[in-house]
Amino acid sequence: MSLRCPSTGKALLALAAVAALAGGCDRERRDLGASMPEGGPQIQTTDLTPGRGGVLPPDPRGQLYEKSAYHVSEGSRLFRWYNCSGCHANGGGGMGPALIDDEWRYGSSIEQIYGTILEGRPNGMPSFRGKATEQQIWQLAAYVRSLGGETPQASSSRREAMRSTPPRNQVTPPKPKGEGAPAVQGTAR
Amino acid sequence: MKQAASGLIALLLLCGCSGVQTPLDPAGDQAASIHTMWNVMLVVCSFFYALVIGGLLWAVVRRRREPVPEPQASAHDPGIERTLAVWTGLILAGLTLLISWSFFVDRSLAQTHDDQALHITVTGYQWWWRVEYQDGPVNQWFETANEIHLPAGRTARIKLESGDVIHSFWAPNLAGKMDLIPGRHNVLDITPRRIGVYRSQCAEFCGMQHAHMALPITVESPEAFKVWRAHQLQAAKAPTSQQEAFGKAVFETKACAFCHKIDGADAGGRTAPNLTHLASRPSLAADAIPYSRGALAGWISDPQGMKPGTKMPNVPLTSAESSAVVAYLDSLK
Amino acid sequence: MGDKVAEPERRRRWWWIGALVVLLLAVVAAVILSRNTSSPGATQKIASAPFQPGAPGEDDGQWTMPAKDYASTRYSALNQINVSNVGALRPEFTFSTGVNKGHEAAPIVVGGTMYIVTPFPNQVFALDLTRPGAPLKWSYSPKPKSAAQGVACCDVVNRGAVYSDGKIIIATLDGAVIGLNAETGSEAWRTQLGDINRGETITMAPLVVKGKVLVGNSGGEMGVRGWLTALDAGSGSVAWRAYNTGPDKDVLIGADFKPFYAMDRGTDLGVKTWPPEAWRTGGATVWGWISYDPELNLIYYGTGNPGPWNAEQRPGDNKWSSGIFARDPDTGQARWFYQISPHDLHDYDAINENVLLDLPIGGKVRKVLVRPERNGYVYVIDRASGQVLSADPFVYVNSSQGVDLRTGRLKPNKDKEPQVGKVVREICPSANGAKDWNPSAWSPRTRLLYLPHVNMCMDWQSAEVNYIAGTPYVGAEVRMYGGAGGNRGVFTAWDPVKRTKAWEIKEDLPLWSGALATGGDLVFYGTMEGWFKAVDASNGRVLWQFKTSSGIIGQPISYRGPDGRQYIAILSGVGGWAGAVVSGNLDPRDPTAALGMANATQDLKQKTTTGGTLYVFALPVHR
Repeated sequence: MSLRCPSTGKALLALAAVAALAGGCDRERRDLGASMPEGGPQIQTTDLTPGRGGVLPPDPRGQLYEKSAYHVSEGSRLFRWYNCSGCHANGGGGMGPALIDDEWRYGSSIEQIYGTILEGRPNGMPSFRGKATEQQIWQLAAYVRSLGGETPQASSSRREAMRSTPPRNQVTPPKPKGEGAPAVQGTAR
Repeated sequence: MKQAASGLIALLLLCGCSGVQTPLDPAGDQAASIHTMWNVMLVVCSFFYALVIGGLLWAVVRRRREPVPEPQASAHDPGIERTLAVWTGLILAGLTLLISWSFFVDRSLAQTHDDQALHITVTGYQWWWRVEYQDGPVNQWFETANEIHLPAGRTARIKLESGDVIHSFWAPNLAGKMDLIPGRHNVLDITPRRIGVYRSQCAEFCGMQHAHMALPITVESPEAFKVWRAHQLQAAKAPTSQQEAFGKAVFETKACAFCHKIDGADAGGRTAPNLTHLASRPSLAADAIPYSRGALAGWISDPQGMKPGTKMPNVPLTSAESSAVVAYLDSLK
Repeated sequence: MGDKVAEPERRRRWWWIGALVVLLLAVVAAVILSRNTSSPGATQKIASAPFQPGAPGEDDGQWTMPAKDYASTRYSALNQINVSNVGALRPEFTFSTGVNKGHEAAPIVVGGTMYIVTPFPNQVFALDLTRPGAPLKWSYSPKPKSAAQGVACCDVVNRGAVYSDGKIIIATLDGAVIGLNAETGSEAWRTQLGDINRGETITMAPLVVKGKVLVGNSGGEMGVRGWLTALDAGSGSVAWRAYNTGPDKDVLIGADFKPFYAMDRGTDLGVKTWPPEAWRTGGATVWGWISYDPELNLIYYGTGNPGPWNAEQRPGDNKWSSGIFARDPDTGQARWFYQISPHDLHDYDAINENVLLDLPIGGKVRKVLVRPERNGYVYVIDRASGQVLSADPFVYVNSSQGVDLRTGRLKPNKDKEPQVGKVVREICPSANGAKDWNPSAWSPRTRLLYLPHVNMCMDWQSAEVNYIAGTPYVGAEVRMYGGAGGNRGVFTAWDPVKRTKAWEIKEDLPLWSGALATGGDLVFYGTMEGWFKAVDASNGRVLWQFKTSSGIIGQPISYRGPDGRQYIAILSGVGGWAGAVVSGNLDPRDPTAALGMANATQDLKQKTTTGGTLYVFALPVHR
């Protein structure tokens, strides 16, 4: 049979479908410059406030950075470049406390982590105010959140999935240990 | 119309015959042998191309001139057999020539036998090049970024490493391509012969700014190279004005010192280009922008605007701080 | 013939013989008795001539410096507690320091007072040993900066105080050295030497030699420039400072400098063996032990690892890191240097103890320095010239292939050379070395050196690292684990003359405590689980053990109390590098935590918890 031209309606529908699909091709927007409003979040390190009320709402920027795989990935790069890994290793800690566990001395919300990195803390966390840019501190805070398993799985880059210690919300529950489970992992001979 | 178009195309093709980034204008031994092989391939292939086109044209023209009755198929046609034999022989000869020539050129490029070679290590990052000169005792080793100087007539043994993803080093006027693969050392020998400045470029897609990852290679006389090398070994010039001193202080106390290194200042970063002699380089940001004080100021104030996705952040500086830093860096000749 | 002499003649002869015999016996008795006489007033000696090159001399029953004496023997000649009665040893009193970090210090005992320094905040306690229960006499809080905790690589430890001339001298984590009045605890002087913003801390126990306090800085993982400083013990003012990298004038290398090997000879090697300017952040800190030979008038100490750990960023031999210096204590001028690990690739600091002994080697008695080293070899070095007489492995070593005794150079194993971007596996010994800072003890009776150490290997991957002052300058990811055999700790008795192991005790956890040898032929050490053990010095049989409240990483001492009894004292409280998982509450799911130690101590949290208690043991009093 010979070819028949499809109807105009069908053609328009197909075009619209293609356009919609193409629009979804952007995984996320990357804000590369300082196009986000600057000025840090309001931070509250403690849950205790005298009187009624006083709990601060979460900063919307926190969500933006946490949900963006690009920003979390940039955070992991800065984590190494700024020697965070020198004190916190790959989240297990060392000179600094562990970041992959669920104990947060100074708060686990992204604003509180932002504050920790910006201000430093009295027992040895250095202050990065004026050294790292605000966007970089957000990225680092988003990465630290991902180390603790607090960010959505979708925003972790593939690099994180290949690490030996994936974030808590990505770890399959450990099998119950039998008698023969070795206490020490590694190439023990 | 058609003639004009074909003439234009011919002109454009001829543009490749000379220039700072072309394999058709070899300035070094390795590029010369590649160029020779290219010519051999061109000649051989053109010969066969001419034969094939000629045969095709002859068949078309002959067909058009007079109607020819269908030839009787016969079991043996000595004419066709002879033609085929000659044709196959020619192809074999041509292929053998090409294969063996290519084999010997590859071997000669891979051979590294000059013990007096200048040892350089080039490490590729997203999206810049670290160039380390590693000749002589270790305290005579120095580091620069995004430019290479080579003495004419002396082989440079370039060790290629990568700091993150796969890049490729390609200086077409001087040598062929060689990849920079993370976790692996590749070696490329370059023996430049002609003095000049040539452009090399990353030849393996490596991310958002792959297109802006070039590297000017300056080939100069051995005397000029010695002068340049002695200058590079010196620490950065001390600031001579108050603004430059303030700029140095801003550089050391703000984010700059975290990633960049300046020998002579309190800045020991390694993950960004070494800026000790920044102002002596022909370009900024891996040859994305020609160097000038204004370009430097623009770069520092908005690197993401000029090279989106680059690892250097937009550091918030006041205008006084910014002009002081520019003044200081511009003094680092 | 007259076969019998006349009777009276015979009797007279016998009388002469008898008198001769009596005379002979008297002479012999006089000789024997004269040997045993001790000079009066020996028990009142306070720290006089505390240098015993392995010879059992008089022991005043005190412990005035962590190493016991200038030769660093850590040997107490007291023998009231011995092999036969140690089974009855029991705690006499305890004292809680109130700090829950790693306790690496040795208690100091002078007369009737014991002095202990805690980990950060480096509080000093003086306990009155003359009263039952040793109540607190005074305490002193130096109030070091809290932020110093953020630049201490391996727990906020302190290795002890030192006593000299009426003063107790300590160093604090934030880099101050303080002289206290030993009687009252008041501050006599305080000198700030280190800067935490450059990553400097001080964790070592100072040593006082000829009125000068010798102390060095820590921070080889922070890109500091290492030094050894001498302060005047009376006033605390700086007498001299010798850097361990940089030009000769800073390193105090002058005309007296005569290194034995050609590789250590030359001018300004502290600059020439580094890429330009890299020596400024080159490490080579001094955080371990110093010994002193009063006859040769030389102090001996080792320098730490070069910085960063990523060796690709610092090609060259990296002098004067990972080696031993011999210096004149009055001026600081260097006499000789031997580089144990040139261009160190595996964080083999060379700061371990230097035991000064006179040993018979090659037919004659030689003045030597015995050094059980991080890189896995026991070095016996001529302490006058710096010549290596022997270097024998005391563990399985594959990171190097021996020491070339002709050139003195360590022979590296190319297969175990770390690289950026590549993982090199099964490097033995691990970064903390076959034996780390925790000191060995020498017994002049058994002629054995007792080494508490580890059996560990590691995987290593180097990475590029930015130097940012006050942050770690490491550039390596490490993962450690137990070596062959599965036991992570070993207690070895080593014969430095025969150059072999006499016996060894395998321990599950790494051994991070010091050792003590006593005249009762006992050796004491503690495990990271908290067991404090007494072992027969000649054969390694465990004769007694006591479970303390927390893992032991401190240095045991022995002293004679005011009541004349012998006591053994140890600080219990796990931590240090090996115990970081517990004292820092780290997460061992990340094997690279604590510079790789977390992988090797994944089970430590199940075996011990933090603590900080002094335990003092003695035999029960017989009524």
